[in-house]
Amino acid sequence: MSNTDFEIKKPKVDLNYSSHLKPVHSDPNPEAKPLPKVTIDGKTYEFKPGDTIMQVAERYKIHEEIPRYCYHPGMPIAGTCRMCTVEVEKAPKLMTSCSTPAGDGMVVHTRSEKVMKSRTGVMEFLLTNHPLDCPVCDKAGECELQDYNFEYGPAKSNFKEEKRVYDNATTKKLSPLVTLNMNRCVHCERCVRFTDDITKTNDLVMVNRGWHKELEATTPEGLKNDYQGCLTDFCPVGALTWNDFRFQKRSWFLAKKPSICDKCSKGCNIEVHSDADVVYRYVPIHNEMVNGHWMCDTGRNSYQEYMNPLRVISHMMRQEDKMHSVSIEAVLASVNAQLKGTSSVQIVIGTDSTREEAALLKDKVPALIGKNVSVSYFNGTGVNTPADDKKLDNLLKMKDQTANSRGVEEQGLTPLTNGELTADVAVLFRNGRTGIPKMKADQKLVLWGVWSQSEIQSLPSKNILGVIAGLATIEKEGSYKNADGIVQKFHPAIIHRGGALSAHHVVGLWKSLT
Amino acid sequence: MGTINISKKYTAKQKSYIPAILVGMKITMKRFIQGFFFRKHDTIMYPEVRRKYSDRFRGMHFISVDPAKTENCTACFLCETICPAQCIHIVADERDEDENPYGVKKEKKPVSFDIDALRCCFCGFCEEACPKDAIKLSGNYELAVSSREEAFYDLDHLKRPMNGRNEK
Repeated sequence: MSNTDFEIKKPKVDLNYSSHLKPVHSDPNPEAKPLPKVTIDGKTYEFKPGDTIMQVAERYKIHEEIPRYCYHPGMPIAGTCRMCTVEVEKAPKLMTSCSTPAGDGMVVHTRSEKVMKSRTGVMEFLLTNHPLDCPVCDKAGECELQDYNFEYGPAKSNFKEEKRVYDNATTKKLSPLVTLNMNRCVHCERCVRFTDDITKTNDLVMVNRGWHKELEATTPEGLKNDYQGCLTDFCPVGALTWNDFRFQKRSWFLAKKPSICDKCSKGCNIEVHSDADVVYRYVPIHNEMVNGHWMCDTGRNSYQEYMNPLRVISHMMRQEDKMHSVSIEAVLASVNAQLKGTSSVQIVIGTDSTREEAALLKDKVPALIGKNVSVSYFNGTGVNTPADDKKLDNLLKMKDQTANSRGVEEQGLTPLTNGELTADVAVLFRNGRTGIPKMKADQKLVLWGVWSQSEIQSLPSKNILGVIAGLATIEKEGSYKNADGIVQKFHPAIIHRGGALSAHHVVGLWKSLT
Repeated sequence: MGTINISKKYTAKQKSYIPAILVGMKITMKRFIQGFFFRKHDTIMYPEVRRKYSDRFRGMHFISVDPAKTENCTACFLCETICPAQCIHIVADERDEDENPYGVKKEKKPVSFDIDALRCCFCGFCEEACPKDAIKLSGNYELAVSSREEAFYDLDHLKRPMNGRNEK
């Protein structure tokens, strides 16, 4: 048996962020000044004057050849980790590719012998004090230190002395959301730069120098920005971990599917991490037009409402003074009969519905009920119409807590007058994010979509004609129009394992009854 | 369709059957004398006497504990990941500060650690994967149970006191 049978395939280092930089090309006009060119690993690339070598590599998607810890495309350049050094011809020493501006005619080698030796050295130095507690560490499996050490690091360490252990505590809570384990830190200072330059809250600072360098919060209360989850995303090691996800699942079990966060009208692009159709976390994915690299903590934790055991995932109907779980046909037959017997019906579409659902409810459902039905939309999260929506901070957060106000208004609907139900029977369709409109004491209701048991219990159950369980954003497909007018389409990230049905399915069944 | 006659013609010696009985009795008496007078047995008296297997025998699982009786397992899920029979089910959580006062604080602990011994194929991969030498397979081969529930080993059962790899 030859040795090649056991050859281990090197995994591609999977960075959880990508850059917005695109290739640039010279103006074809012969009179225009051509763009400067740099040669990287034998190939010549054009670049924009002012780019660093790393940014040129990012433009042409060859950046995976250059390992990095401190560099992040969304943040200012620091040049502290020395991992991204490359060999530049005619330069006396290795240069950090993240902070060295590319020059016209520069010749760069990213994988020469000298560079690889330097990277091995940097890895060995980083690992002198790293505790190697990967079995306990939540970052294991998606850790840049693990990946780069596998690719560049030495198999053995020359360091025989005792490892540095921070005295005060192995772990400490920087805030109720984030835990710090200082022993794992490689001092890349991405977190410090994030709070300094992106959120501008100056929450974190590195105190002391050299061997004793330590991350600390600037105030005794700890972190106070609304984007703490991002710290845990871009931390290249497991120093900063997200408490909600801490010890819940190992990263290699997670299935990753893209989706849209529906907690506000920004519509951040997210990746839903799930195992066996149970969601464990949301992670932002890069979209320069919408959210950049970031995502707020409210949105990050918003999966909990969909995974909540109190969420109603079966269709319900009132029988003998109690709500009972029954089949969809029984609910629809009962609701249909009672809607036919009343004089006025109104349909209220929550602004968290997809554009497709809003169109379906506006066009198809009034015809099924078969009388003059008024259709309006309702938000109930502090804004009435998309015009009221405004930014809450300088980054992402919006006042509107529903995802599709613009998309629903686009269907030609008007907001619910004074936020109050007027007809005898109201059909409320929502996706779990809008509020509940004001209503009369004897208002008859048909609840449709994502409802929680506590919300249903807050309503007088005598007046609820039926509950039709619907799918949540991560379980259905559709499109949202966000606050900036960008339409984003999404597909199911997980399969719904309860009894909830899509709106199209319910309307199809309803049609077959009439 | 023809028939084949396979009946045999027996000789007078065979028909008398006494020589054959004597041959059988000779073996019986030989074993009786060996066992009764010279104590030479091929079998053992099982519950009182137990056979010694190889040290590498893979039997009932156990989790090693430290002197403070805290399990060495840190719930890293490597055994659950590698298990080809998918018989290990772990739920992890953070360990309380005061739970392990000795040595380096163990940050993570298994809240529940269940092994479905009916599914287990005793390959020993979990033992190989374990970075903390926590899960091990003992020399205990008495795995028979009287109900299915007893074959699901929980954390309390796995943490039972052991004498090396053997049951105490």
